[in-house]
Amino acid sequence: MAASRGGFAGKVLRVDLSTGKIGVQDTIERYEAVLGGAGLGYRVLWDEVPAGTGPFDAANKLVFAAGALVGTSVPCNGRTTITTIFPTCWPRPLVGSGHMGGHFAAKLKYAGYDALIVEGKADRPVWLMIRDAKVEIRDAGHLWGSGIRRTTLELSQEMGPDCVVAAIGQAGESQAPMGMVINSVSHSAGGVGGVMGAKNLKAVAVQGSGAVRIAGDKAEWEKLVKFHLSILGANNQHVVPSFPTPQAEYYNPASRWVGQPGRRWGAAKPPVELTGDIHDLSRIVYRTNSAAFFLGEEAWKYTVRGNGCTACPIRCHTMLRVPSVTVKYGIPDMAQNTCIALQFGRMFFKGLMAGKGGEAAIEACMVGMHLADDMGVWSNYGQLQRDLRKLYEGGYLKARLGSKEYASIPWDKYDRNDPAFLLDLVPRIANRQGELGDVLSRGTGAIFDTWSIPESDWADDHSTTYWKMGHPKHHANEDDGQCGVIINTQYNRDAQCHSHTNFVRNGLPLAVQKKLATDIWGSPDALDAPGDYTPANPYKARRAKWSLMRKELHDALGVCNWMGPWVASPRWERGYAGDDSLESKFLSLATGRPMDREELDRAGERIFTLHRALTIRDMGQVDMRAGHDTVPPWVFEDAKGAAPFTKGTIRMDRADIGRAMDFFYEAMGWDTATGAPGKARYAALGLADVGEGLAAAGLVPQDGK
Amino acid sequence: MSAGDAPDLGKAIVEAVREASAEARLVGADEVVERLRARGFGECLDTEPEVDPCRRVEALLSGLPEIASLASLSGRAVYHDPALLSRTYARILDRKGVTALLMAEEIRANSRDYPRPVPVELFEAPPFDLAPEAIEAAFKAMAASEEFRDIAFTTTSQGTVYLFSSLHLERDYATFLAEQDETFSMNP
Amino acid sequence: MIRDVPSEWIERAAQASGLEAELSRRGFLKLSVCALSGLALLGLGDAFGANAPLVILDNAKGVILADPTRCVGCQRCELACTEFNDGRAQPSLSRIKIARAVNFGPGGPTGGDAMHGDWGDGLIVQGVCRQCPHPVPCATACPQNAIKDDPQTGARVVDPAACVGCRLCQRACPWDMLSFDEQAGVATKCFLCHGRPKCVEACPAAALRYVPWRDLTRDGGMLRSGLSAPSPENAKACLDCHVPAGKTAVK
Repeated sequence: MAASRGGFAGKVLRVDLSTGKIGVQDTIERYEAVLGGAGLGYRVLWDEVPAGTGPFDAANKLVFAAGALVGTSVPCNGRTTITTIFPTCWPRPLVGSGHMGGHFAAKLKYAGYDALIVEGKADRPVWLMIRDAKVEIRDAGHLWGSGIRRTTLELSQEMGPDCVVAAIGQAGESQAPMGMVINSVSHSAGGVGGVMGAKNLKAVAVQGSGAVRIAGDKAEWEKLVKFHLSILGANNQHVVPSFPTPQAEYYNPASRWVGQPGRRWGAAKPPVELTGDIHDLSRIVYRTNSAAFFLGEEAWKYTVRGNGCTACPIRCHTMLRVPSVTVKYGIPDMAQNTCIALQFGRMFFKGLMAGKGGEAAIEACMVGMHLADDMGVWSNYGQLQRDLRKLYEGGYLKARLGSKEYASIPWDKYDRNDPAFLLDLVPRIANRQGELGDVLSRGTGAIFDTWSIPESDWADDHSTTYWKMGHPKHHANEDDGQCGVIINTQYNRDAQCHSHTNFVRNGLPLAVQKKLATDIWGSPDALDAPGDYTPANPYKARRAKWSLMRKELHDALGVCNWMGPWVASPRWERGYAGDDSLESKFLSLATGRPMDREELDRAGERIFTLHRALTIRDMGQVDMRAGHDTVPPWVFEDAKGAAPFTKGTIRMDRADIGRAMDFFYEAMGWDTATGAPGKARYAALGLADVGEGLAAAGLVPQDGK
Repeated sequence: MSAGDAPDLGKAIVEAVREASAEARLVGADEVVERLRARGFGECLDTEPEVDPCRRVEALLSGLPEIASLASLSGRAVYHDPALLSRTYARILDRKGVTALLMAEEIRANSRDYPRPVPVELFEAPPFDLAPEAIEAAFKAMAASEEFRDIAFTTTSQGTVYLFSSLHLERDYATFLAEQDETFSMNP
Repeated sequence: MIRDVPSEWIERAAQASGLEAELSRRGFLKLSVCALSGLALLGLGDAFGANAPLVILDNAKGVILADPTRCVGCQRCELACTEFNDGRAQPSLSRIKIARAVNFGPGGPTGGDAMHGDWGDGLIVQGVCRQCPHPVPCATACPQNAIKDDPQTGARVVDPAACVGCRLCQRACPWDMLSFDEQAGVATKCFLCHGRPKCVEACPAAALRYVPWRDLTRDGGMLRSGLSAPSPENAKACLDCHVPAGKTAVK
């Protein structure tokens, strides 16, 4: 019987907020082919949400999905993928996913569900209570208007201290496309907060007491978990430390493995000195300190500890205590986050961008985290901040905002790099107050629409890092040449793919990387040194495909693509190899159904192709190559006029990128003229119904390939 | 010494070197002999008084695949177990005290292998632990010496100094890589 | 109470070592020369005859020590406990308890400055079994005498064959460290993984250590006052040491 599989919780929970109907479905029966996470979300959207549905329509669905490995001790699981018609996608909303870590995904599994599908729209503010089999829609009138912190506290008082609350703040309530949902203090999914708000859903609180069963031999499982731990590096799978250690042959000053003897968590009480062998598995958490990596050495003294998702030993959400901000800005002295969300506040200010930033940048980060992670405002991978800078510095705001509104904004503080500016700006965005607040709350596309600014003003300007469709680049040519470009053409939001960048930035010498590349992708030419790019070739396209498939797989299994894949390792005795089959080994043992790497990668391809199909369907056009997979002009330029393929430029060549796309479409088995899959390709991936549906709508390539 | 003693002695030598490597120390044959004596192998070492125990230990060391030898700056061979003390770290240890050479060789290796320039701050942190004055003095020494004429620096737009070797990196490329390295925090 | 143990008891205890198999079969105390409390008990056991229950367990050999300032709330210990021992990932079954303290700490969502956990001051106070000395609250409360000491480690362990799932042990523990295996219908608790605790090995922050036993029950406050009442049958044995005021000690 299907339900006897391990790994999966076995059920999908459906809640219709319009009717109040609550029901469950069998996961394996309905969704095994797409595994879970993003795959399950895409399938629900394909089956149930018609083309043309708007993000805030009651007909849009919101799919919170964990994956088969979530809730286990597989390192770096704990991811929830939230799939919906994505509101910041411009000029037309299309399928997209927000991703959050924290403890929500694991709790959902322990409660007995692989996914939660939210449908319809409540007629008043509600929250959803999930306690194992007991599920209720409860009134949230008393919570409406509250920030995420207060909402979480009050719901925890009602449900018990160890529930996990995923809530929206004021931004989500006001149906801001830039709204986020947040669980466990700092773990946010961008773009979907407003969709929750449109459904009048303030929060989902989950309590789960059940188990995720490991179907395979438990000793084998334990062995595999320990092996995985042994090939972990630090955050982003940087496999060498940023400093020479006796145990390591290699190091890289740019590595996120910054923890070393002599450093300490200075704000722990009492402080925790980093001692002993930092390579030891009992010290993995001390390798990563996101605050120290992004903000510099000063951050160590403010560090309370690392924090992060269920079962993850990396702890990339560094917890900081900075007493001065309470006095200066009247905000709590503690905050935690990682990467862009850690730097939410700092990135608005031109004067705080230099280097690691130091003390002033740390304070701005504290103010930013306090506001963004309580009101639930998303940064769109820093595009919000870059947009404001360009709007202000480029004189757009002065020209377009009414003079009264313009004068009401404390620009003097902004000019002084005073973080207090954020105390004015961020609530404007969250509450969609005034024209500036409203436009910024709707994302970059709203800037073009509202103020009649041509998209090319952004797309031509490298400093915006704008890519397309209202979203920025995310590890593109600056990191990984054509491979990065291909990946950035494929999504309807910023490409949240890290498979490629985690490899090229892993810190190993180029020769070692090329050796590993030969083993995995068939040629040392599958990657170049950064800024020393060679023309496109099929191996780079193969690596781009692999990167995308693994990203989709990770989002489907609930494993972190910010950490994975694990094809490189810190272990010299392995020649620094990781394990390209790790995901399939884990899934096989968890479910009890053996699945090899090739079969699992095919599932990843199926999921990714479903994303493609949804995009084609909702755009109503088959020519993805010209209509979707576009590259901004700045990619083909260089500030100093350097020619493509000369050392020291990330400038790409148009014709060469055309060839790179050809290679990629060929690797995918797609029509190279349109970049669209044919009926046969859909069928080969077990998506015959999808292919037929698109064919009936005239949305497969002409030659029927 | 009977024929059966050699493997035992070999094993003890490996242990002695490993012990030092675990302490992040390089050892010469003489120190290995000392450590062997401390382990009660003195009699075994002195069975043939005409043979210098150091020579014997050296001969045995050369046949031990798990132990690596390094020609130290002093000219003598030193030993380490690369599983506990990497080649890179061993070289750094060996060059400590010869600041200009230490820095130059580290800069060259980075430029050659990864390839990348390195921020000057690298040398202020462990295991280098060089004071800014010592670094400055080393730069002056390098500038005055033909031996180090490949060592160059580039300053990023944010004012950080990165070092590279012109033997392995062109200036423009080094500048690009330095700029990229410094902006990683804005490219998470 | 056990300071003036009569020499004849020690002699009797020495003789009694021949009865070790018999004693173990009943889940009674295993003799150890340094276990004076045990010696006292043997005297009692003898006095009450072969069927009298023995409610004193020798002290455990080891205990898991947890440092909250190092804990990062990853729950890898909870998962190692249940996956590697039970073949399922289930924090609610775990014999080390982190999930309950991750958000707000042991005090719960009170708000205010004293709140711990991710939403408070960041401190995560791990829940670990103290492997209590006599009187062991969970063992004392068990009407089935199903909680015994492990011969190897001295850990107080639930014998699943004897446990009937009444949950009185859960109510008895002042630190709320008993888990209930809903699938098997029996209680479960920390058994120190036979001397190699999986949780300790799994901690990526070196926040857990397995150390020689010491009495942690006197450290800090309890989570709650446990409801640990001995069964009437056991209570009779208690009275032989816990002498009512004005009466003389057992002969």
